Amino acid sequence: MSLIKQLWLIIGLVLLLAFGGSLMIGLTATRHYIQQEVRIKNADNANALALSMTQLDKDPVLMELLLAAQFDTGHYRAIRLENPAGETILQRQADEQIDDLPGWFVALVRFEVPPGRAVVQDGWRQYGTLTLVSQHSYAYRTLWRRGLQLTAWFLLAGLLSALLAWWIVRGIRRPLQATVTQAREIGERRFTTRPEPRTRELREVTAAMNRLSTRVREMLTEEGEKLDRLHHRLRLDPLTRVANREHFMQRLQASLESERREAHGCLALVRVGDLTAYNERLGHARIDTLLAKLGQALTRLADGEEGSFCGRLNGSDFALLLPWEDDPRALASRLAAALHPLADAAETIPLPLAVARLTPDTRRAELLSRLDAGLAEAEALGPREQVVDSGTAPPPLFTTHDQWRQALAQAFDDGVYLAHYPVLTPEGELLHHECPSRLRLRGHWRGPELFMPWVRRLALQPRLDLAVVTQALREIDRDGLPRGIHLSLEGIGDSHLIHQLQRLLTTHPDAGPALWLELPQVAVQHRLDRVRDLCQALRPHGCRIGLEHAGAGLARLADLQDLGLGYIKLDVSLVAAIEASQERQAMVRGMVTLCRSLGILSIAEGVTTHQERDTLIEIGVHGLTGPRIRDPRHNLEDDSDGD
Amino acid sequence: MLLAGLLGPPAATAIMDASRLRQQMRSRYGEPGLAALEAWLNLLSRLRGADLLTRLGEVNDFFNRRIRWVDDLDAWGREDYWATPLEALGNGRGDCEDYSIAKYLTLKQLGVPGERLRMIYVRARIGRSRITQAHMVLGYYAAADAEPLILDNLVPSLTPAARRIDLDPVFSFNSDGLWVGDASSSRGDPLARLSRWRGALARMEEQGFL
Repeated sequence: MSLIKQLWLIIGLVLLLAFGGSLMIGLTATRHYIQQEVRIKNADNANALALSMTQLDKDPVLMELLLAAQFDTGHYRAIRLENPAGETILQRQADEQIDDLPGWFVALVRFEVPPGRAVVQDGWRQYGTLTLVSQHSYAYRTLWRRGLQLTAWFLLAGLLSALLAWWIVRGIRRPLQATVTQAREIGERRFTTRPEPRTRELREVTAAMNRLSTRVREMLTEEGEKLDRLHHRLRLDPLTRVANREHFMQRLQASLESERREAHGCLALVRVGDLTAYNERLGHARIDTLLAKLGQALTRLADGEEGSFCGRLNGSDFALLLPWEDDPRALASRLAAALHPLADAAETIPLPLAVARLTPDTRRAELLSRLDAGLAEAEALGPREQVVDSGTAPPPLFTTHDQWRQALAQAFDDGVYLAHYPVLTPEGELLHHECPSRLRLRGHWRGPELFMPWVRRLALQPRLDLAVVTQALREIDRDGLPRGIHLSLEGIGDSHLIHQLQRLLTTHPDAGPALWLELPQVAVQHRLDRVRDLCQALRPHGCRIGLEHAGAGLARLADLQDLGLGYIKLDVSLVAAIEASQERQAMVRGMVTLCRSLGILSIAEGVTTHQERDTLIEIGVHGLTGPRIRDPRHNLEDDSDGD
Repeated sequence: MLLAGLLGPPAATAIMDASRLRQQMRSRYGEPGLAALEAWLNLLSRLRGADLLTRLGEVNDFFNRRIRWVDDLDAWGREDYWATPLEALGNGRGDCEDYSIAKYLTLKQLGVPGERLRMIYVRARIGRSRITQAHMVLGYYAAADAEPLILDNLVPSLTPAARRIDLDPVFSFNSDGLWVGDASSSRGDPLARLSRWRGALARMEEQGFL
């Protein structure tokens, strides 16, 4: 039994004892008092009447008149005069008049008052014995009224006491519940802290748990920071703080080879022309400053966009990938506008550009050599020239904004199609299916490379997110298999969408726990408050919330975890060819350990080879996904898109 | 009303505690009192088994001789004090009630049924004068409707009531039948103490008579 219940039980019992006892004592005392009064009255009146009769002639009529006069005052139940032999001479009797009182009450308090007795003398002789019984009805009525009054008063007092008790118990229960919740959260490895309650014992417990949480969190944050530093050292160019060549190439590779159709958008190369010459002429320091500024500008262009990233390929070449930009010419102009002013500072340093459109079938090497050639061409043309390789762009499905808007609205109404890619544990158990979406446009299911740029341009991501979640819940209701759904950065920022998701989950109460919602890592860096809101709103429905493409930024993992973060997907750039890189192995091992300490699942994305798979399993990831990962048991419809 | 709230323990079950009486008497009235008590105890043992008239006469005489008739005010320093036999014997003085009570109790000790004994308030004419006075005597009723024999200190001999023309009966009482079914009404009951009769009975119990 809970402490609060016991407390209530005791309070109830004490109240009942106190008030029930008071009621009993009050009634018993009153009954005793009334009984005594009636007894005295009986004795007094019997004596008074006997005395009067003794003084008079013993004329029967006179005796009867006297007795009747006394009786007719109405306060007697019986008056009887018996001669010494015990025979009745005179008698008057009346009924008890207590019909208006409940029988059980009369039976309960039933007065036992002896009749008053006195002897009437006739001279020296005894004339007779007078027996007198008073009417009790008024006494029962008085007692009954008193009982009612006492009960009413005690009910009132009991109610007030109960209110007071409720107030006190509430004062205990709140901090108690908070303490229990915190203990449970720590048990779930969510290291939360709470304000200390006023109750001393609970305060000590809470303080101890707060200390524990703070220490663990500090420790974990420190671990995360260490990993972040390692990440920076291994993956970033030390001068410009953008991805180094190896890192950029891995991410590009992952984008191009992704079976999820992420290979879209544009890739740009920028070269600082005649770097060696300018280094000698202007000094290393100035050129280094310029390079750092270029890095910052490119980071700004890539920042805040899902899937965008930039890198420094070698001393003079920078690259920028914007997956949602489908107009290479526009990108070239934006780059020129952002970067050229930086290079104008001292002298006009050449800054040729080459931009190419990504297509699903492009190989990385081919793409890069094409861009390289474009860059060389631009360099030859002049210091600030741009070469744009539009590639063989697929013919546009629609040409105007309105056509797109109508077509997308129709597609959302028709419902989305979800592709299925299993995420398995090392033992081969299904964790969930990753479900990228397809939209039906012009009669065929189309991948995101075709519709995403327009969905973004028309700011329809929240609608797409909602459509995808709706479809996923429907499918979970059907087969019960868990599904992972990607939420867009814009969707997370849309409070209306969060409300709609809450409503959806309320109407699919059983499907909630099978829904895994993935947020882009960039959301944590840019919209942490929104992520917090989302977690608080959706966690009560049982959904798991995770981060995809997680790489750096693990120092904040401990902060995120008390929001209810359930899993992270390690970015493919960490996973690719991991068996060959001791350093990346160390880093992933650190991340997996950190996740384990926080009770967060770590899942490796884009596993392509057996070597990668085995290495990752050896490191201890909880889950794996990628082209090499197939689930023989839950072979859902394969990606049936595209045509 | 003298009998208001008159309640007491059943007198028929009275058991006397002689040693307690002696101890009480010695501490309160010394050797003379003790001598009187011994005389009373002797009387009791002598009369046990004697015939009724002897018992009535001897008891009447015993107290009429032993106790000098004075007002309550002289005897006890207050008006209307109903003394127990022990107090009356110890003091050697007493009022009419004190005689009646002592005789009543003694006769009951000697096995005279309580219902045949009644204390009677009477109006007494003293001598041949017309002066009257409130008085109390003890009456013995051979039957409930018979004329009683009077045990009195004014006329020391046992006399049938009819011959006591100096007395007018007013009212009578005894301790029987007044506590029907309510023997539990105890000394602790503060109302019971209001009655003189009950007060005297309570004191008798304390002193070892009952």
